Amino acid sequence: MNRIDQLFQNKQKDILSIYFPAGYPKLEDTLPTLQLLQDKGVDLVEIGIPFSDPLADGPVIQTAAKQALDNGMTLQILFDQLKDARKSITMPLILMGYWNTVYKFGVDAFLAECQKVGIDGVILPDLPLEEYQEEYKAKFEAAGVHNVLLVTPQTTDKRLVTIEKAASGFLYMVSTASTTGGALQASKEREDYFKKIAALDIPSLIGFGIHDKVSFQHAASFSNGAIIGTAFIKALEKGNAAEFLESLQ
Amino acid sequence: MKIKVCGLKHSKNIKELTQLPIDYAGFIFYPKSPRYVGEEFDAAIPALFSKSTRKVGVFVNEELDVLLAKGKKYKLDAMQLHGGESAEYCRKVKEAGFEVIKAFQMNDSFQFESLEKYGNVCDFFLFDTKTENYGGSGRKFNWELLENYKGSIPFFLSGGIGAQDAEQIKQLSHDKLYALDLNSGFELQPAKKNADQLEIFLNKLELNTMNKDKYAVDERGYYGEFGGAYIPELLRKNVDELQENYLKILASEQFKKDYARLLDNYVGRPTPLTKAGNLSKRYGTNIYLKREDLTHTGAHKINNTIGQILLAKYMGKKRIIAETGAGQHGVATATVCALFGLECIVYMGALDVERQAPNVARMKMLGAKVVPAISGNQTLKDATNEAIRDWIANPESFYLIGSVVGPHPYPDLVTRLQSIISKEIREQLEKETGNPNPNYVIACVGGGSNAAGAFYHYLNEKDVNLVAVEASGLGVESGETAATITIGDIGFIHGSKTMLMQDDDGQITEPYSISAGLDYPGVGPLHAHLAVSGRAQFLSATDEEALNAAKVLAESEGIIPALESSHALAVLEKMQFKKDDVVVINLSGRGDKDMETYMKKFN
Repeated sequence: MNRIDQLFQNKQKDILSIYFPAGYPKLEDTLPTLQLLQDKGVDLVEIGIPFSDPLADGPVIQTAAKQALDNGMTLQILFDQLKDARKSITMPLILMGYWNTVYKFGVDAFLAECQKVGIDGVILPDLPLEEYQEEYKAKFEAAGVHNVLLVTPQTTDKRLVTIEKAASGFLYMVSTASTTGGALQASKEREDYFKKIAALDIPSLIGFGIHDKVSFQHAASFSNGAIIGTAFIKALEKGNAAEFLESLQ
Repeated sequence: MKIKVCGLKHSKNIKELTQLPIDYAGFIFYPKSPRYVGEEFDAAIPALFSKSTRKVGVFVNEELDVLLAKGKKYKLDAMQLHGGESAEYCRKVKEAGFEVIKAFQMNDSFQFESLEKYGNVCDFFLFDTKTENYGGSGRKFNWELLENYKGSIPFFLSGGIGAQDAEQIKQLSHDKLYALDLNSGFELQPAKKNADQLEIFLNKLELNTMNKDKYAVDERGYYGEFGGAYIPELLRKNVDELQENYLKILASEQFKKDYARLLDNYVGRPTPLTKAGNLSKRYGTNIYLKREDLTHTGAHKINNTIGQILLAKYMGKKRIIAETGAGQHGVATATVCALFGLECIVYMGALDVERQAPNVARMKMLGAKVVPAISGNQTLKDATNEAIRDWIANPESFYLIGSVVGPHPYPDLVTRLQSIISKEIREQLEKETGNPNPNYVIACVGGGSNAAGAFYHYLNEKDVNLVAVEASGLGVESGETAATITIGDIGFIHGSKTMLMQDDDGQITEPYSISAGLDYPGVGPLHAHLAVSGRAQFLSATDEEALNAAKVLAESEGIIPALESSHALAVLEKMQFKKDDVVVINLSGRGDKDMETYMKKFN
């Protein structure tokens, strides 16, 4: 069974997911960071594929991605780094990146590598659902790789129906209209949106603007859990990643 | 205008129709209709139509559960509700993910006010002839009644339309007329359509040529394999909103009137088509310059910003975001925002802010806020990224994009707004030479908006050679270049599938050209299609060649061109023309902004 599905089967509440870019802050940091995340009890990890033009990301992730690229990070190096990851890493792993890097790598080659190293899902925010369904869905399913879809406060009810039907793994519930790393304002409207998505038949995690224990618990109270990215990258940069993860407990 | 063919049933008959440009295929699930599909209808039959034909189920006062179940079974895209269904019922159908077409029966006493409560719960209305039996009468209603419909929901025209009505339909000018619903007028017997008769009728409407235009964008925003809308879900609603509205607004009488008036008395159109006598002698042919340099703000960019600001206004937007490279689009945007009293935020790469100080000053004087983009390499690509990020964070804003790039519908929207250039060239050339078609149209391409505008009305004129000129910087082999088509390959940038300069790992590389308006690592998807299909010839000019061409034009014709336009002029040296050829060069902008560069070179 796909590790993502297993996770949601075993745990319905307070799932902690962490995002970090591969090859950051140093090229060889990918695996040690994964090990640290697992040791600190993180449930799910999204490994970012660095891209030159990350449209949906705020300044912190942009800068981190640029540093990873300057370190010489590539998708092939990432797969090489992950070659033996499954000897020690049991958490579900997701690759998150922009479509151009995957397309350039070759979709078939990409999926073959995902299968080889034990990737459970991908998040490709700029691959349109329609194109995915028509051209790639069968291949992703055959490879056992979930394509995790995003919903946002702007997603219309009509589109939500489509997304719910097409979703696999879980829904990435974007908390607010912003790029990554913004602040999350609590409001009745926001809570209604969280509740609406949580009521769907598929599990969901809330991301964007989750940065500490309080915001994590608040978000997790409306869903199966939440995703922290920018705040963790700041901790990596400062060298206090372990303390940061402990502060979330 | 879209075409719906309704009352379909038989697979053999449908196979005869699949080659026709049918946008909606209707299947009647009302048991009392003579065209009822029946209890045992095979779900594979609607699927005989391609995905671009939407499948419509026609129901009359059906139980909601039954309707939804049929929708699922037959993979219907739309529901036509032909009975007395309530607005609440429509809402439920819409919420279930179907497009809703609500039918109403017209007679002289029909109250259009009664449609108001259906406004938010239907995608379309359908106006049919009033009968005892929910349509199917084969009679037309009095089409003059349509003039009383002032609502905003587009409608299908239905009821007894036949082969003899083509001319009358072409005269209909209602701006909400969206589609024709064809049924009994084209039948051999109930539910069996006459494919030949339909084809002749559609030809008469001249839809066939429109729909088969291989250089036009398709419904999902593709030119051949290029285009689309590769955007994060965060932008989906904004882009959908624009996709749904832009064609309707552009086709509305009000827009046409406002746009024409502003182009005429604010931009200063039509711009002249100048016969360049000395240049013609020099190259032994007949060279005409389309003088976009003479527009208000000094470049073609304003044709687009005038159109988009009207669009923003009609859509009720108050805050305008734009990106700019050299600052020409930024100035043109700041200009129209000042004119319409709208807030204007222009993103400009921090490096360009330094390089293009005069344009930064102009934008500020016009009241715009100029935000330096400090991400990436701090040029146009990064300014565009920042503008898109702003749009994500401020979804109520209008993103006024400056070239034929970005997610669908921007490439098509900007192309249409710039197409005024080739419209005028045709008229002016016909007056001048008796033939609207030249032998060559030459234009420079960065993102490609001036070229798209100069090519547009010639795309299907095979005898017109289209020449696009990219900036090759220090040379295509030098690594310091912006010649995307020459050295790029297929990729995705700013929401569009197109040709792209990138490394082996799919990282987008930084372009270089002396001209800030051409150093973009992508190119509009239309141009990628024109290049790959061979419709346009793509050449390139180096910095040096462009600078020299600017000098030649200045000295021979008394016109100082923008550095961008100089690239188009530069290929005159590389091409062979016949004495009788007519060559049109789109002079996209004037050179004032480039004087520092020119002086450095020539002093």
